[in-house]
Amino acid sequence: MGDETSDTARTTAGATTDEQPPVLDVRDLGHSFGEVDVFSGVDFSVAPGTVTAIVGLNGSGKTTLLRTVLGLLTPDSGDVSLAEAAAERRVGYLPQSPAFRSQFTVRETLSFYAAMLDGEVDVSAILERVGLGAVADRRVGALSGGMVRLLGIGQAILGGPPVVVLDEPTGDLDPRMTEYVFDVVDDLAADGMAVLLATHDLSGAADADQVLLLDRGSVAALGSPADLRAETDTETFRQAFLALTGGEAAADDTVRRPVRVGSTTGGER
Amino acid sequence: MTRPAVDRLFAIVERELSTVVRTRAFLVLGGGFAAIVVALAWSGGSAGYTPLVLDLLTPVEVLVPALAFAFGYRSVLGDAERGELDLIRSYPVSRATYVGGVYLGRAAALLIAVLGPLLAVAAFVVLSPGTKTSVIASHSGMDSPVLYLRFLFLTAVFALVAMGAAVAVSAAARSTRAGLAVAVAFGVALILGFDAGVVAGLSGGLLSAETIEPLLALSPNSAYRGLVLDTALSGVAGGVPASPLVNALGLVAWLLGSLALATLTVWSATWS
Repeated sequence: MGDETSDTARTTAGATTDEQPPVLDVRDLGHSFGEVDVFSGVDFSVAPGTVTAIVGLNGSGKTTLLRTVLGLLTPDSGDVSLAEAAAERRVGYLPQSPAFRSQFTVRETLSFYAAMLDGEVDVSAILERVGLGAVADRRVGALSGGMVRLLGIGQAILGGPPVVVLDEPTGDLDPRMTEYVFDVVDDLAADGMAVLLATHDLSGAADADQVLLLDRGSVAALGSPADLRAETDTETFRQAFLALTGGEAAADDTVRRPVRVGSTTGGER
Repeated sequence: MTRPAVDRLFAIVERELSTVVRTRAFLVLGGGFAAIVVALAWSGGSAGYTPLVLDLLTPVEVLVPALAFAFGYRSVLGDAERGELDLIRSYPVSRATYVGGVYLGRAAALLIAVLGPLLAVAAFVVLSPGTKTSVIASHSGMDSPVLYLRFLFLTAVFALVAMGAAVAVSAAARSTRAGLAVAVAFGVALILGFDAGVVAGLSGGLLSAETIEPLLALSPNSAYRGLVLDTALSGVAGGVPASPLVNALGLVAWLLGSLALATLTVWSATWS
């Protein structure tokens, strides 16, 4: 790839499959903490009804990128554009380590956030959707870590925002709960939401429509999981990840070049 | 403020009030304050409203800010540390609505905790057999429930000001340790440091008698004390160096300044 990668080859998840305009467009985004550049020159777009996974090693800048996209951090350069939407809430957000006031029940917690919106929200339906209907009256302090994350996802989709940003939604979860969370994510995308998530779970990322691989503050690869496998001549997404981050295929100098590949052919797991 | 904004405000108020009511540590603190007030009133002999105010003034001046900071110093900071502040920012909630809701909810809880015991101990005077003949002789007036009501009103205002400062510290602090350190330093400065500084300035010749009036109004504790002495204890207190108007302005400035600081510092970046 390298120099052969053209602008036209840049993937816009969903846009290439559904021909829909992106709901989130990030251009030349950069952020630094003082003298330390966290990331720079980040470009990508996200279309409705797709899942975009941001992957990378610890410290690669995933969370900072998400927080900058959200507007919680002011970028040093670049722009983040959100499409105009009828939804009252433009972006839903699940932080990396979600926590809520332990004195309240699951239903009370979600009802509080629902009260921050003008329109009526069926809290019970949201709880059922994320699988917390049975524990609606349990206090947050008595929830497992996985349930707190599901509550966080329920909060993130309140008001039907067109873009949902999830920061490591499966962190520290057991395999069964991880699988469940990714099922919920797929369900959100199927309903037309654009899901942007950061994750260390490569099996989940392999199922995304688009993967953005951050490596030391730069976009090392952007494309569908299948394209990344093809580009690195590997059989699994895990091998592709390792190759692109200097792992198994580190001997090949070309693996550190940004890889921008074209078609979005859906995911794999 | 639009109707939805008012609804959001009250949702935040309800959340804060419920948080205080459901937190055992706050209930213990409130109970401790009530026990101290009752003990002081009981030991004072229930001779009348004016003696009761005299018994309670200094403890209230110390304990109300302490209680306010205990109730309020983690109000915003806790949301920030849990990440809930970031979540709230993803909703159409303004900084003023959020800070206003947090302040009103915590202040309501504080008022209940403070005024409840103070109202209860007034019953000692009402029910005391000696009350009917209990009059503090003074050329300025006689003992009256009105004096105690003035004390209650001023204490409520003082509590509101103290809670405003606590919420401002909570919004401006970036960690629990910093918030706690600032709250403790702030409390000590208000309770002891400011008055000690004025006395030192006077004795050292750095301050003149004319500068006392505005200086005392700069401290909410001094302003509150001055107002109580002037309006609730005028019959027994000596000359009060500051006018009620100046002291009242001092308290209002503290309240508005604190809430403005909290609103400006609670979050800065704008949502995309």
